[in-house]
This record gives sequence, C-alpha cells and structure tokens, in this order.
Amino acid sequence: MLTQPDIAALLITLKLAATTTLILLLLGTPLAWWLATTRSKVRSAIEAVIALPLVLPPTVLGFYLLLAFSPDGPIGATTAAMGLPSMAFSFWGLVLGSAIYSLPFVVQPLQNSFAGLGRMPLEVAATLGAAPLDRFISVVLPLSKLGYLTAAVLGFAHTLGEFGVVLMIGGNIPGETQVLSIAIYDHVEALEYSQAHWLAAGLLLCSFLVLLMIYSANRRFHLMKTA
Amino acid sequence: MIEATLQLNKSDFKLEANFSVPGRGVTAIFGPSGCGKTTLLRAIAGLEPATKGSLSVNAEQWLDANGSRAAEERRVGVVFQNPSLFPHLTIQENLLYGRKRLRKVTKTIEIKELITSLEIEKLLPRYPEGLSGGEKQRVALGRALLAEPKLLLMDEPLSALDQSSREKLMLLLEKFLQEIQIPVFYVTHSTEEVARLADNLVLLANGSVTDHGSIQDVLGAVDGELSRSDTAFSVIEGQIATMQLPGLISVDCGAGIVFQLPDSTSVSGAHYQLGSPARLRIRARDVSLCLEAPQHSSILNILPAVIAELATRPHNGSRIVKLDMEGKQLLSKISEYSVQQLELRAGQSVFAQIKSAALI
Repeated sequence: MLTQPDIAALLITLKLAATTTLILLLLGTPLAWWLATTRSKVRSAIEAVIALPLVLPPTVLGFYLLLAFSPDGPIGATTAAMGLPSMAFSFWGLVLGSAIYSLPFVVQPLQNSFAGLGRMPLEVAATLGAAPLDRFISVVLPLSKLGYLTAAVLGFAHTLGEFGVVLMIGGNIPGETQVLSIAIYDHVEALEYSQAHWLAAGLLLCSFLVLLMIYSANRRFHLMKTA
Repeated sequence: MIEATLQLNKSDFKLEANFSVPGRGVTAIFGPSGCGKTTLLRAIAGLEPATKGSLSVNAEQWLDANGSRAAEERRVGVVFQNPSLFPHLTIQENLLYGRKRLRKVTKTIEIKELITSLEIEKLLPRYPEGLSGGEKQRVALGRALLAEPKLLLMDEPLSALDQSSREKLMLLLEKFLQEIQIPVFYVTHSTEEVARLADNLVLLANGSVTDHGSIQDVLGAVDGELSRSDTAFSVIEGQIATMQLPGLISVDCGAGIVFQLPDSTSVSGAHYQLGSPARLRIRARDVSLCLEAPQHSSILNILPAVIAELATRPHNGSRIVKLDMEGKQLLSKISEYSVQQLELRAGQSVFAQIKSAALI
C-alpha cells in the first residue's frame, strides 16, 4: 500500500499540477488570444518559442532553469535582491519549470479554439454594442468551452507526468519537491516493485481517464454541432 | 441626412465612396458582385478600422479627421448575409443581446410587437441550431432592431435563402422596412429587390459611387451608369384595379395610365387585393417606341407618351430614351438606328409598347 512519503508525493504532484494549470490558463488566455488574432511578423517566432518544450529534452530546459535560479543567474539574482529564498529545490521553482514545460499544451488548444471562432461573432457583438472585454466574456469564453477543457486537462495531465525538469530543478526532497514520477523512480531503484506498481498503475489509470474525458467531450461537442 | 466621404485602401481593393442620402427610408446600395458593397457597409458599421474620411448619420459624427467612433459606440444594426446568431444563446437571449447593452431603452420598439410581426414567437426558447435560414435571418433582424439602432444595415439578407423563404422574407421586409422609423441601407445586386424596397439608390462600381439620389432620379438618369448597363429599368407605382379582362390583372397608375398584366396568381401563389398598392418594374429593353398607335398587336400595353430626354450618346449601338407619361417616368432602350430612322427628339409624342412588366 501507499506509504507516508508516497502520499506526500501524490499531494505535492496534485498541488503542482493544479497550480500550474491555473497559472497557465490565466497567462495562456491573453497569449493565445494575441497569437490567434495578431498579424504581427514576430508571431511565428513566438509560436516557435512556445512549442520548444514539445521537442526539447526536459533536462535541457531544467539545466537552463537551474542556471537561472543560481545566485548569479537572472532569476536567482532577482529573488535574492527582493529578499526571497532561492527558487531552486523549492515548490515554486517547480511551478515555474512546469509552467514553461506545459505551456504549449495549454496555449495551443486555446489558440486553435479562438482562431476557429472567426471574426464574425465578435463583429456581430460589436455592432450590438458590446465593448472588447464584454465581447470576450459574453461570446469568446462560452464558445471556447471545449478549448478550455482541453487546455486544462492537457496542462494538468502533462504536469502530472513530468520527470526531467523536476529532477533537475527540484531535486528529490520528500515532502517538499518529490513528485510521483520521481517517487516511482526511487521505488524502482530500491527494487520496491509493488510500491512502484501502486503509483505507476494509479498514474496510468488517471491519465487514461483524463484523456477519455476530453475525447468524449469532444465527441459530444461535434455531435452537437452537426445535429 | 446621411453624408459619407469614405476612403479605404485594402491590399487588393480600393473603396472611394462619396454620397449623401436622406436620413430616412430605404437606401439600396446596388452594384455587381465584387464592386465593394459589403466593404462599404462594413466601413459604415465601423468594422473597417482603416477607413478614412467622414461620415455623419443624422447629425451624429461617426467618423472625421479627429477619429473614428468604435463599432460598439455607433449604434448601428447589422443584418449580415449569413445570419450569424450566437450559437450558445437561445433565440430570446440572442434577441436581447444588444438591448441589454443599451444605456437607455427608449422603448420606441416594443419587444412583443416586433416578435409578433417577425413571426418568431415560437422560436424564443430554442437555440439557433436547427432553425431554417429564413427563421435565423428574421431573428437576426429582430436582434439588430431591438438594440434601437440609428441606422440599420442589411447585407444581401436574402441571398443565402432558398426561393420560397426568400419570397416570404421579402414580403415581410416590404411591409416592415417602410414602417420602422430607422434609416436602412440595403445592399443588393438584385434589381427586383431595389424596385421593391428602395426609396433611394446608391450605385457602386469598382469601389466608387457612380450615382446616388432618389430612386426615380437615379433610375431616370439617361446618361447614368445604370442606364448604360443591361439592367436599366423603371419603377412605376399604382394600385390593383378591377379585373375587367379575363386572365388579366389591371394596375391603375393614375392619370388614365392602366397596365394590363397576365394574371399569374395561380403560378406565383400571390394574392392581389383590389385597391392594394402595386409597383411595376419595367426593363428598358422591354419598351419599344412607335410613332403611330399600332393595331392588332399581341402587346398588351401600348400607351401614349412624350419623349422627355434622350441619352446624349448611344452606348453599344443602343440609346436610352426617357419617356414622360402624365408625370410617370419610363425608360426605353432602342437601337441607335431606330432613333435616326424615326428622327426621335425631345418633346415628340410617341406610343410606348411595353412587352412585359413585372408586378412586384
């Protein structure tokens, strides 16, 4: 069965995934909206940067973040100047790393969803007297429900399964920065296969259920649209 | 008055529209596909931010050198070619979307009355999905009007509909647009819609306004752009008179001018009531001229007229002749050869043979 450190790792993982998803939805919304509507020439460059975590080994990202967190690095120097503790080997360091790592999984579904709306509903809303923010809240948000669901679920699930970035910048401090994927690794290293099974199978089932949810929501949505 | 001096440069298109029309009634914006009608409408609605120039609608300045009023501040109602109702809102919520955002509801438009006259009561709790094109377009019209616009813009609202719903909505618009106290700009490329709905006309070709004014003035300009085109036509108003002749409908246009038309009610399903107002659309190419009254002709309508004006120059071998029939204006398009042979000139009395006239 689950040991005390396992439960701690589970809770930290859930908290990390939830915090990261929330932050990404908040920051990803304006970013995705800008990407979906801008005609700026730098759009492609920004899109490429956001998509980097999709192709980059997580250890590369973790390595650079670790450098940035060091007292001489830009982030480390800033936190030190503000009198804050270093972000390396801390929960908030993990949040930052996860947010960067999962960014494309949140921004891309939102961007696709916004772009798919087209300009028509917004123009209609404008001629009916709705100002820009009003248009976004009364038209874009409700019509992008599925995009938000997909973005949230993918962002959450992707953060759950993270290993490389976390190991590089968070280390493996039980009860503080030890997440599920690392706990599984530890159990396997210690040849505690039954413990590893509990966590691994749990994560597997959880991921499957989450994806099942998106795909069935997607299906319902499409059925609704074609009805 | 609605006065516009608009310039808009798009990558593949240039709009240069200068016109002024009365601030009430229906103004048709007429021209062939791709001449910039929709772009003009979008510029008026404030949906083309790069528009320069000036625009005033009944003394309200929407655009001038100092800046442009945002679309949401213009209080302009738009009925787009595709109805574009909000799919996440019920019909009732769609209808009230603009009205809820009014700072002050002046109640000039009563919700119940409007919903009844648009025949959309039964749709209120439903979602747009599954509504017919005609139903959606009626809801879109209602939604625009309930926001109490200062100007209603309609962009070919009938073009996405099938023939029968088009006719149904047309009948409703004919009645409706005359009743509302809001100026309407109606974009179309159909002469029938112009003849049936418009009080004023703005002609557009290649992004420029070629003529504008009251429908009779623009239609009757013998040297105007419309007269030179194949679509030149006249509109004569009258009322349905007694049906004296078997198989014919009479339209009395006053001053002794009576048109006889084949009674096609059994085909069209339309029903004409005695004394109800009627408009006739007569194509210039369907009107020929004789110096003497022809006898034994199959042509039903042969009416005396006086030549009011001839186009200054022939166009593609034909010339437009404007006739005056007791104050009613009628265009005829005849060959330049005939003009010379008959030695036609202004002030001359002739007989107009009208091969066909459409009761609209």
